[in-house]
Amino acid sequence: MNAAALPPTTWTTGTTEVFKTGTWRASLPRHISAPSPCHAACPVDGDIAQWIGRARERDFRGAWEILTRNNPFPAVAGRVCHHPCESACNRMSLDEPLAICKLERHIGDVALAEGWSYPAPERELAERIAVVGGGPAGLSAAYHLRRRGYAVTLFEARRQLGGLMRDGIPAYRLPRAVLDGEIGRILELGVEVCCEEPIDSPGAFERLREEFDAIHLSIGARLPKRLPQLDYGAPWVVDGAHWLAQANAGAAPALGRRLVVIGGGSAAIDVARSARRAGHEVTLLALEPEAQMPAQRDEVEEALEEGVRLVDGAMLERAAVVDGGVALECVRVKFILGAERGRFSIEPIEGSAFRLLADAIVPSIGQDPDLSCLPPEFEKQGALLRVDRRQATGVAGVYAAGDVASMARFVTEAIGMGKRAALQIDASLRAIDGRPGLAGARLQGLGTPVEAVVPFEAIAGFYHPAAARAGAPRLAVEQRLGGDAEVQSGFDLEQALAEAQRCFSCGTCIRCDNCYQYCPDLAIRRLDGGYAVNGDYCKGCGICVRECPTGSMEMVEELR
Amino acid sequence: MEKLDLVEEQMFCSGHAACPGCIEALSVRHVLAALGPDTVAVVPPSCMAIIAGPQPFSSLRIPVYQPTLEASAASASGLRRALDAQGKHDTQVVVFAGDGGTYDIGFQCLSSAAERNEDFIYVCLDNEGYMNTGAQKSSSTPRYARTGSTPAGKTTRKKNLTEIMAAHGVPYAATATAGYLPDLVRKVQKAKSLRGTRLLTLLIPCLDGWGLPDDGGLRAARFAVESGVFPLYEVSDGRRYTLNHATRVRPVSDYLGLQRRYRHLDAAQIEALQAEVDEGWERLLRRVAASEDELTAAC
Amino acid sequence: MSEAVEETMLLTGNHAVAWAARLARPKVAPGYPITPQTPILEKLTEFAAEGAFDAEIITPESEHSVMAACIAASLAGVRVFTATASQGMLLMHELLHYAAGARAPIVMANVNRTVASPWAFWPDQTDSLAQRDTGWIQFYSESAQESLDTVIQAFRIAERVLVPVMVSHDAFYVSHALEPVRVPAQALVDAFLPPFDPPHRIDPENVESWGNVVSQEMFNRHRRDLGEAMARVPAVALEADREWNRLTGRGWGIVERYRCEDARTVIVTMGSMCGTARDAVDAMREAGQPVGLLKVRLYRPLPVEALRAALAGVPEVLVLDRNYSPGHGGVLHQELRAALYGMEGAPRIRGLLAGVGGVNVSPRRIAEYVRDAADIDAGADSVWMK
Repeated sequence: MNAAALPPTTWTTGTTEVFKTGTWRASLPRHISAPSPCHAACPVDGDIAQWIGRARERDFRGAWEILTRNNPFPAVAGRVCHHPCESACNRMSLDEPLAICKLERHIGDVALAEGWSYPAPERELAERIAVVGGGPAGLSAAYHLRRRGYAVTLFEARRQLGGLMRDGIPAYRLPRAVLDGEIGRILELGVEVCCEEPIDSPGAFERLREEFDAIHLSIGARLPKRLPQLDYGAPWVVDGAHWLAQANAGAAPALGRRLVVIGGGSAAIDVARSARRAGHEVTLLALEPEAQMPAQRDEVEEALEEGVRLVDGAMLERAAVVDGGVALECVRVKFILGAERGRFSIEPIEGSAFRLLADAIVPSIGQDPDLSCLPPEFEKQGALLRVDRRQATGVAGVYAAGDVASMARFVTEAIGMGKRAALQIDASLRAIDGRPGLAGARLQGLGTPVEAVVPFEAIAGFYHPAAARAGAPRLAVEQRLGGDAEVQSGFDLEQALAEAQRCFSCGTCIRCDNCYQYCPDLAIRRLDGGYAVNGDYCKGCGICVRECPTGSMEMVEELR
Repeated sequence: MEKLDLVEEQMFCSGHAACPGCIEALSVRHVLAALGPDTVAVVPPSCMAIIAGPQPFSSLRIPVYQPTLEASAASASGLRRALDAQGKHDTQVVVFAGDGGTYDIGFQCLSSAAERNEDFIYVCLDNEGYMNTGAQKSSSTPRYARTGSTPAGKTTRKKNLTEIMAAHGVPYAATATAGYLPDLVRKVQKAKSLRGTRLLTLLIPCLDGWGLPDDGGLRAARFAVESGVFPLYEVSDGRRYTLNHATRVRPVSDYLGLQRRYRHLDAAQIEALQAEVDEGWERLLRRVAASEDELTAAC
Repeated sequence: MSEAVEETMLLTGNHAVAWAARLARPKVAPGYPITPQTPILEKLTEFAAEGAFDAEIITPESEHSVMAACIAASLAGVRVFTATASQGMLLMHELLHYAAGARAPIVMANVNRTVASPWAFWPDQTDSLAQRDTGWIQFYSESAQESLDTVIQAFRIAERVLVPVMVSHDAFYVSHALEPVRVPAQALVDAFLPPFDPPHRIDPENVESWGNVVSQEMFNRHRRDLGEAMARVPAVALEADREWNRLTGRGWGIVERYRCEDARTVIVTMGSMCGTARDAVDAMREAGQPVGLLKVRLYRPLPVEALRAALAGVPEVLVLDRNYSPGHGGVLHQELRAALYGMEGAPRIRGLLAGVGGVNVSPRRIAEYVRDAADIDAGADSVWMK
């Protein structure tokens, strides 16, 4: 026997690293980059966990850059977005959802205050794109296309850009300076703007097709829906959108003291609240019960605080002039939501008739697009312009976004559609060109990209002590009704940082080192700014996945 | 959340034979990192002795001496004196012994070493049973727990090692667990900065012995702390008590419900255990208060 | 030897051992008191209080912990000394195996005292003989001088072969009786004992671990290695003894033949009994009887060659055992029979259990044993004597 080859009987000479304990396991962990539920719910695919992460590190510039990768209107959205992200936020299962909307507002406001601007496009492309309609969808499309280097010409029928952001949303919800600031910043990229140039005939449209390489249609929905039981010719009937546009321009129509605003959505609420500021006594007549009104909860609360009287779950049967004003004969109804957005049915409740007295009625029940300017080849879907999931109409090179093509009547939905259209335009033009289009994919963190949204169960709750959601005060009611002062305030720096701390960062690794530190086998190492699992030693216990505070790891079964 | 701020140098190796998810291996990894390379270890027969590796391979990057089961503190004393005789007064001697080798067969020489205030850190890896030999009871096993030698549940309560060592007046006695890792590391660093007999009792949920899933060890440790079953506290010089985790946020039943070794418990037993924990917690609070009074009186 | 290198003191056996330990300069000396060993421990603490003994003295709660501390300290690469007796030796038993397996060159002095039960404090060698399988080298000393010299030699032998050594002397006869003892100067002992510098140790600057679980093959090989080390001991012990003789004029050998030339009967024994037997042999020789004494000094490893050589051609051997192994009689008797088995012209061997439990064995008694030996069946197991 060769004594030299035998290991010594005492006193160690090596380490246990010779034993590859990786052979023990049946599943292997991996680091993933997964969509957070907020991102999945966000109309603009907002990479929310990532920008909140930057904010948490006090890198507001970095946060803004990520935010505006998707949405050029953070200060606007941070005020008016319906924040489906917050309804999806995993933190809700621990204490309260993140105040994502207000955080976005904070970033947007800091950017405006600091005067940050977008970088010039890396290259100038030859193609020219026409954007018809300068509301949120059109401006978003113009922004995304311009950042990619396309020459963009923006046609707007009205005198100013902004669409319903200007005409529909009052200043006490969205200060003009904020709106102008964020629009201006887009234009600084070099968008050619043609205001008061409506494309309002098939002929005008054809000229566009000849001149431009692609067309983005975002002409909105500006034809008010009408209640058949009202005479819109009567002087005591003023359509809500029209009333609001006038009021936002500083010239609210002169009507009697008592107004009944009909409608349950944001527009109706805006009308009601603006009417209060104009000195009216306002009753809001909504078909839906209060809890089901499409308007945001905040808006309803603020309206009630401002003295709007809410009559919910009721409809107008007929109205007629009587001695002392206009009598609205109403009846309570049972409101049943339909399967699709915008669809519903109502059943009048027997014996529940009642009367409202007013000086004017301002119906605000929604709007339809005016498609008469388009050539007949465009397909329609009900009152809307039909588009596919990528915002393409059936007509080559023509895309549509916003209220013209969708019943998702939210500013941020429009922004998101405009972005999707822009990405699709880019992809299709670059495909012809041979160069790859710029993917608008989710911002990738460390780890393998996966599609499944991070559930609450994947978050290691131990690392997230309960903490109340930050709140910002509202202006006192007396101060509100006096003028146009912004009702909701934003966060201060401390609040913003504290709120950002509450974010779980679902699906985005924050390099906390938990996986590295909690492995009993030292089978995870740091690598290239991220982590790597060492398959030689990993026993598949799953502690790393359990300890991940962001749900950015998963176990994958190994079949060998 | 706060990122873990722990030392970089790793003094423990992969390839050891601990069960997947073993909290003992995880705990030792971090104790070793906090102690650094100028350290020698004493490891008696235990799970840790197996985790230390088969001849000629070791999983610790410091020298390890393995004594007989009942002799850890005596061996550590001899090792300490030999190092002192060679002028290596700053080399740390650390014992990693199980509850069997500490509470039971190794208790006598630990008490003696403590009386002599021998200069070493004694880390008791307390998984509440003789786990390496198949989970038989030790005097660290809590009441009602099912073990290999108490299939109907142990009828007597767990011995309180920290209080016993505090009664010896050792410079430092503390409890810790990997479920609260920064607290554990801080205590190791604190122990390292002192001289004399320093005792750390680490609660080590044993996956196989307690009946936990592979990734369930840390949660069990946290529930133990959060229910007051395993309070995190420090005693300096046998007199000054510091309670590190001052709130109890869950009932004992949450903790018991995680573990197969308690699955047979009925409501009366759970109630009895809750009462036992409540009483122990009250007693600890009184000690903390008394030591604060003493401190104030002394000022 | 000149007085310059040695000084004569009146010392008990225990104090002579304490002097030997002091001169050997161990770095760690754990100890636990037990009658009749306590004077060794106390003397060392006295030396330490005077600043004459620069060792870490540890006083654990039991002998088991004493030996545990010894092994760990020894493996940390320092010279270690301790002492015990009787129950303490038994309590150490688990760790005596451990120390030998660890190849820790610990030197331990032992005072042979009866082992309980029942309780007693009397000279009896069963305590150390019961450790014969543990792998320790064993010496049995007859006098205070021999104890001092042997303890010092023990360090040199232990450290050369890396096997622990125990040196035993009888309770009270040697441990507590005073005699003039030549105590060597420190410089002489320093020259005789090179510094302890083992090839492996527990040392953070050179990381290696000891005690990790081994395979069957490794365990087997480890025992063979220990066996090889044991096999070298007689030669190493003789070398040490020769060197000691050169320095001090005193040599003790591993066995000693006293007046065995043309002896018809040779008495074989260990420890203080040898002193008594010397007197008996002198008296018998005076009376014309051809009797001699073979003193066994090195007991483990059993010096088979030396024993065979010493007893070659001797017709009768009478073993006197001051110890008892129930079921098989006296230990030296058993082992001698086995050692001489198959030898050409092997002596007839008889064994007497003389002095078990500390009963007095006088020179006259020994003469009677020799006279009456023929009544005992040669080849029988040990016989109890009055």
